[in-house]
Amino acid sequence: MLEIVRQQMICIVAPGWTGGAEVSKQLHDALDALLDDVAMVHFASIGLLPALAGAPNQQPVLVLELAVEEGFRPYDLLYRLVYHHDGAMWALFGSMVAPGVAVPTAKDKQQLLSQLMSWHSIADGGFVGARDRSVRQIKMESDLLEQTRIEARKLKPKYGNDRTAFALALARWAYTNPRFGWAATPAPRSYWRGKGASIGAKLAYPVAAIVLWFVVLGIVWTLPRAYNWFFGEPGHVGRAIEDAVTKTSECLLTISWHGLLAFAVIAFLVWLFLVPLPAQFVSWRRWLNSVQQELDRPTDTLSSLATYAGGWIIGVPLLLAIAACAIAYTFAPLAYALAPDYMHTVIEPKLPKLTGLQITGIAVVAIAAVLGIGTLFYWLNRYFTGLSKKFFHPLEEDVPRAQQIHPSVERCEADLVGGTQHMFSLTELRGPQWWSAWCIRQALRIVTFAGRVFFTQGWLGNAPGIHFGHWHIIDNGRRFLFCSNYDGNFGGYLDDFINGAAVGTTLAWRWTELHPRAPALEGQPGIAKARSFPPTRFVIFRGVKCELRFKSYARDSMLPHLYRFDACNRTVDQINLATGLRDALFGERNEKNDDLIMRAIET
Amino acid sequence: MKLSTYEPDALPPGARSLSYGVFCWLNRHVTVLRALGALLRRWPAIGGRFGLVARASAVKDVLMRTRSFSNTAHAANMVSGDYLIGMDPGPTYSADRDLVHARLAALDVPADSDVEAQRRIKALRGRGAAGFDLIDEYLMWVVFRAMRPLFGAATGAVVAGSVTDASKGDVDEDLQRQYMLEIRYVAGQLLAGSLATLDLRRRAEACGDALQARIDRVTGTIGAAWGVKSSSADIERNAVGLAWISHPVTVQSGALVVQELLGRQKVYDELWSLADKLGEPAVWADPEFRKIVRNHVLELMRFRPIFPLLARDVPRDTEMTTGARQNAGCPGGGKVSLLSIAALFDSRVVPQSGRYCPDRDWGNEDALRYLMFGYGYRQCPARDYAVEILTSALIGLLTLPRLQLARGEGKAIAYDGPLMLCMRMRTT
Repeated sequence: MLEIVRQQMICIVAPGWTGGAEVSKQLHDALDALLDDVAMVHFASIGLLPALAGAPNQQPVLVLELAVEEGFRPYDLLYRLVYHHDGAMWALFGSMVAPGVAVPTAKDKQQLLSQLMSWHSIADGGFVGARDRSVRQIKMESDLLEQTRIEARKLKPKYGNDRTAFALALARWAYTNPRFGWAATPAPRSYWRGKGASIGAKLAYPVAAIVLWFVVLGIVWTLPRAYNWFFGEPGHVGRAIEDAVTKTSECLLTISWHGLLAFAVIAFLVWLFLVPLPAQFVSWRRWLNSVQQELDRPTDTLSSLATYAGGWIIGVPLLLAIAACAIAYTFAPLAYALAPDYMHTVIEPKLPKLTGLQITGIAVVAIAAVLGIGTLFYWLNRYFTGLSKKFFHPLEEDVPRAQQIHPSVERCEADLVGGTQHMFSLTELRGPQWWSAWCIRQALRIVTFAGRVFFTQGWLGNAPGIHFGHWHIIDNGRRFLFCSNYDGNFGGYLDDFINGAAVGTTLAWRWTELHPRAPALEGQPGIAKARSFPPTRFVIFRGVKCELRFKSYARDSMLPHLYRFDACNRTVDQINLATGLRDALFGERNEKNDDLIMRAIET
Repeated sequence: MKLSTYEPDALPPGARSLSYGVFCWLNRHVTVLRALGALLRRWPAIGGRFGLVARASAVKDVLMRTRSFSNTAHAANMVSGDYLIGMDPGPTYSADRDLVHARLAALDVPADSDVEAQRRIKALRGRGAAGFDLIDEYLMWVVFRAMRPLFGAATGAVVAGSVTDASKGDVDEDLQRQYMLEIRYVAGQLLAGSLATLDLRRRAEACGDALQARIDRVTGTIGAAWGVKSSSADIERNAVGLAWISHPVTVQSGALVVQELLGRQKVYDELWSLADKLGEPAVWADPEFRKIVRNHVLELMRFRPIFPLLARDVPRDTEMTTGARQNAGCPGGGKVSLLSIAALFDSRVVPQSGRYCPDRDWGNEDALRYLMFGYGYRQCPARDYAVEILTSALIGLLTLPRLQLARGEGKAIAYDGPLMLCMRMRTT
């Protein structure tokens, strides 16, 4: 399921670029014509990466970023691009495959295709904002939006503020316009945005998997008995097999029940601590917020250090103890099956014998104690304000310099003002690189999964305006490339991440650092001084919340693009609006649709 | 021109892979379909409840009632635009059908297919005991050569996708191969394409777009070669349709025929011995031998039809005979499915239907013998040409030393959805 997302964002990382730091006008136009004609690429960019330190070939690395429609396998996509009659891909990569060949034969193209396949990298993780839409669909829906606005201006004097009649007139106009016949069918939606949008549908998968697992165990347990029932009592071998199957299936069944119960208890506790308790007790809510704030606090105040230390002293051991209890409870049946005597004679006497009432009492006392501690600190903060102020007083932010933006990056951003912005960021993986690469991949899987299944309305967490954001681990796990196509400007974009998707962004970047590197070519940015990603706490806290450091880090990692293609040039909001208008114009006439039409023409 | 605007998968993850996987598996294991067909022939009312017909009389009846059971069921699977096979009868259908008949009349079959088969066999023989890919190195070229007159003087331009490079398309085999791969994926969608997984659909759409763009660039040349003065849209529609439907379907049928033949070692041995006795060039010239091989091709196609299942749209409420006491109701807007493979094995009309018998006397049911090409007015107009091309191809293979699937080096047959992608063979 995640591969379909990852395949939408491809980077061709081609070492040995011998061209200059600019793409010729002729090639620029040819690439535009190619990508326009194939109508499957939303965004494309070309950039130059400095060669990898220590690589035998110290020429720059050419990167072609492609953000494409859903469902294409890289081979099929590259096949279409390479074999396109205008030969733009050959003009770009031909000299790196077969120097001196101006007009490629079919064999040359096949060679290029093979080479591109060896250079290509599908995203290790990514997020697509305007999902389920093809390039052609976005263009057609944008046209519908434009035409509707034009028609609305004509009809405005007639209908004035009568919104219902106005919407009805526009819907009639759209219905009778043969140009928009395609819009009569509702805009297509993938499963997670359509039938699978509800929480119930999302939960159905794990529930079905659990039920299936128990059914399989039940069948395995039943099989020997069914056999005996059909064919009579078994012999020695048959009985041994029956015993083995019965014991194994019963043991697995008990382990499964225990695991499920342990999971349910932990899930209940997490829910209790994070949902009802904060909702019921203000002090609890404040304490939770305070803990999060202190862990995220970019400056090293006493309060944040105390919280961090408290986390290590209390939080981590507590969580480890809970995990250990859960594991012990889950696998206890296995221990009983393998060493029953040892469990009965050695372990059991050491376990406290508590009744259910006693356990409940302990739980209540524990919760009350935690609440009491929280309340105590709340009162202390409130009545000893001077001490509290001193305690929370921020230290100086340790940022060596303000953000220095390389002129080439600035020029690229200026070129894209008014359109969709773009960003290339190149960082190195922290050592040991295999461990960093593994951690990043796991983190990106989580981000991609969440984006695919939960964040289906164009927002990643609370961060809006991302068209295609994707991460690639390249150069055999040594470097980390991030490409993004987003609305607005760079500062606002990073602010959205810092405030809206802090955990995901920290997870994606915390295992990276910046090494000194020479510019790919003259006029390109290099890095003079090594930098680290802002320090994190407990893997997911702080990090990007060190705003200045993070922005400075991101700025320093950036590279300019040499070429940029935007098939539709619409913001995510405009795309969503146009799709909504299509569904509203051709849907049933009700208040909601009328309102949507009015908002679309007034926006 | 049809523009592909893809639809995301609205089914839960895994559901489409599962259903399409089952379809492809059934398509490859037609014995299971035949068993299912036997059950439905025995109890046709059960099939009727699910809109399925299996008896020969019922299948023929549905195929004859072209107004009640429409070919538009194919339309959803045609990624490169409308064409005859998915149209309802009407002026466009009639005009296109006339054009196709005119183009088919230009074919010089079996002369062309014989020539190419001989050329390819000679090349394969020259390679000695090395294995070869039946599809990539033999069948697709034989069929391509036989069907060249479809585009006449414009063939080179169609292959090269450009008027200026027209001559290149005539000589560059890599260009020709690329063209044939492109149309193969478009044709592959005809087999339950709307059920296919997203990546297969998208590949077919990309190839369909590429095919349309290719034809669009050379429409004028095609029109001149055909000597017609139709609008460019008409020429384009027919050229695109002719390109994707003619070649890949015949090639796949050929591969299925050979697969079935190799599974019947005794039949293969008999045919091979006959060809060996005749020797070259008599195998190509002897009309009696050709007739025998032709009968075998048809019988092999009966066992391995390329479309064992057919679908038809139901435009309005109607009923269909299934062979049960009562007709089955067919609600308008729905679909019916025809188990054509079950009809081909219906012992009520096919004597000793389970036996492999190329010389069977079909009596009044001779038309049913060609059910794999459809039935009645909507039957494939290229039926006889396709059989002749496959006959040439099979004769060629019979002149080689004994063949067998090249097992032992991975799978001899690689599938791509329901299509055979390659079929590696070796001589013994």
